[in-house]
Amino acid sequence: MRPVIGITTYVEQASWGVWHDLPTALLPYDYVRAVTTAGGRAVLLPPDDLDADVLDVLDGLVLSGGADLDPALYGAEPEPLTVTRPERDAAEVLLARTALERDLPVLGVCRGMQLLAVGAGGRLHQHLPDTLGHESHRPAPGVYGEQEVTFEPGSRIAALMGGDRSVHCYHHQGVADAGSLLVTGRTPDGLPEAVEDPAKVFALGVQWHPEVVRDKRIFGALVAAAGHSSG
Amino acid sequence: MRRPLIGLTAYAQQVQYNGNDLMAGMLPMSYVKAVHATGGRAVLITPDDPGTDVIESLDGMVFAGGGDMDPALWGAEPHPATEIDAVRDTSEIMLMRAALEADLPVLGVCRGMQVMAVATGGSLHQHLPDLVGHERHRAAAGTDPLAAGAADFGRHDVELQQNSRAAALLGDRLTVNSFHHQAVDDPGAFTISGWCPDDRVAEIIEGREHDFALGVQWHPERTGDLRVFAALVQAAAQRSGLAHTPAARAA
Repeated sequence: MRPVIGITTYVEQASWGVWHDLPTALLPYDYVRAVTTAGGRAVLLPPDDLDADVLDVLDGLVLSGGADLDPALYGAEPEPLTVTRPERDAAEVLLARTALERDLPVLGVCRGMQLLAVGAGGRLHQHLPDTLGHESHRPAPGVYGEQEVTFEPGSRIAALMGGDRSVHCYHHQGVADAGSLLVTGRTPDGLPEAVEDPAKVFALGVQWHPEVVRDKRIFGALVAAAGHSSG
Repeated sequence: MRRPLIGLTAYAQQVQYNGNDLMAGMLPMSYVKAVHATGGRAVLITPDDPGTDVIESLDGMVFAGGGDMDPALWGAEPHPATEIDAVRDTSEIMLMRAALEADLPVLGVCRGMQVMAVATGGSLHQHLPDLVGHERHRAAAGTDPLAAGAADFGRHDVELQQNSRAAALLGDRLTVNSFHHQAVDDPGAFTISGWCPDDRVAEIIEGREHDFALGVQWHPERTGDLRVFAALVQAAAQRSGLAHTPAARAA
């Protein structure tokens, strides 16, 4: 049996075929393909905040991208451009915390990395152009920004990426403080691009979108760790 | 004690939301909420994987609605109005057979009921208006046919077979919504236990050999009547030893 990797879903008003603006649990298919290509079996986790018992049957967890986290989670007031999804926040905070307590392998992507940082006691910049004075982390709607990241020697992400430093970003918020996590990658503007908890079997957050290129280095490492965890 | 884990088959579909237009694994939240409201925990099963190993993680399954099945699966030529979803067909037929083989509790909704029939050797009518001469099984998208004052389109009664398992759950007769243009002709390994009284279109199929295998042609997840979801979740809990059911207490 392949390691089962749960991936959190978005909930958005979506349209397809003859249907318009239905509340829909959805996930960009790139995530599913990235897990499948890496040898895992993806199941999608729509938000549910009653308990985290679904983790009983999972071997690994991916916290996916999406809308902004509620700034109340890190003790801030929402800024004008902050758009939140409280239903996802409640469910994903519970899943992330419980997964880390159980030392289940966890990969956070974009919003998922921000969730890991906030869960570790950190906080976010709510709109990077205000903080950094440039838009290179999200150049235009639907356009990924290509960035050069410097990885911390000896970190997990540095080992996974080899000499490769080029990543594809699409975000307007960023990690201001990673809490108890180690920042193991930064862009030249100083923004954290990778965070990890070296005390865990696999706890990695990346601010870019490795699923878009089915990055087998990162998803492969998650699935391998998940395979070990499940025995 | 954990809730029964219910796998719901998902679409792999181009969707539009918030200015995005992309391929997504997705399912209307109405299904998710129906499972959560009846005591289960919903996870979505995407169709990309040919393997059925995920079944081992689940306590029950919902085969959800969606596009048409490929008529080649029962040896027919496609009707002009048939729009197939071949990726889901392949995956869901394999999952259905594996689930039935494992006697995992299964609920089929609309297309899901049709998958039950076709996966076990049955066949479908491809375009009901040709067969029954009216369009009343197909409501307009986005409407609620059961709402007060709604038109007759997409709403009709279902008569149930006396002494069937479905009748024990739903009674002798009920009024349902309806969003389909295909329908079960030959139910394969299952038994038809409910019909639309106006045209005898099959509306319910059930497995007599399985713990819980029920297919309904309507969309209970879009209504307040979630009895078939509650029955699925209860069967899933009982199979996996997760709940004290009346049957367990009696034993």
